[in-house]
Amino acid sequence: MQTRKQWLAAAICVAAAVAVVMLKVFDPATSGMFPPCPVRYLTGWYCPGCGSLRAIHQLLHGNLRAAWAMNPLTVVLAPFLTYGLVSSALLELRGQGLPQPALRAVWIRALCAAIILFGIVRNLPIHPFDCLAPGAMLHL
Amino acid sequence: MFCTQCGAGNADNAAVCVQCGRTLPGMTPGAALPVQGVTLPMNEAVQNYLVFAILVTVFCCLPAGIPAIVYASQVNAKLQAGDLAGAQAASNNAKLWCMISAGACIGVAFIYGLVMLVALSFSVSHSN
Repeated sequence: MQTRKQWLAAAICVAAAVAVVMLKVFDPATSGMFPPCPVRYLTGWYCPGCGSLRAIHQLLHGNLRAAWAMNPLTVVLAPFLTYGLVSSALLELRGQGLPQPALRAVWIRALCAAIILFGIVRNLPIHPFDCLAPGAMLHL
Repeated sequence: MFCTQCGAGNADNAAVCVQCGRTLPGMTPGAALPVQGVTLPMNEAVQNYLVFAILVTVFCCLPAGIPAIVYASQVNAKLQAGDLAGAQAASNNAKLWCMISAGACIGVAFIYGLVMLVALSFSVSHSN
């Protein structure tokens, strides 16, 4: 029997699939289809996620190098996030997810710290760090 | 030991699954869970929403994703300590911050779409 929750999960899966197709077809770097990062727009600083849509677009086209230049954090996290999302979808739809390691809390905190640090460091105008700004590695 | 419900790997002496909160086999039947005065429906999942917390942090580009990750880590810390009620509370907070972040993100995208539409219609009417 389909419950309301399962329908909702199915609807979100469909919406996510549409978003992935849109992201593959339209390049966020050149089309005005996708909104700019609100943090970047309001403050002028890069956030940890700046360039993530452009990175996913490049990943969907198999350009690992270009994706890495846009947002290395997204490229590193992408396989884990994909696995986690598939697991969550399966858990909601058929009641069983994929096998997952029990993450210790300290690792999650370390990840949180890494994300914040990445957000700070990519704004620094000092040489090795400025490469982390979206797209900067393409112009080395 | 792997959870029979969600498949998450757990410590061998874990009472509940860190991923979904289900009671793990191997517990002596009737043994009290390390929670007092709280009855939790055991089939209800204690999820940490970590995947969604990272997603909203990286793709919504808003600081609201950070508390979601912090609460996700608290869920696992409290499950490890056997504090099921605390884990559930942290789980609710993690979910809340994911929703706030996702909601704000959808709001921003909506406003952006509206502005773009208005700008487009202006440029069309001016070119005529």
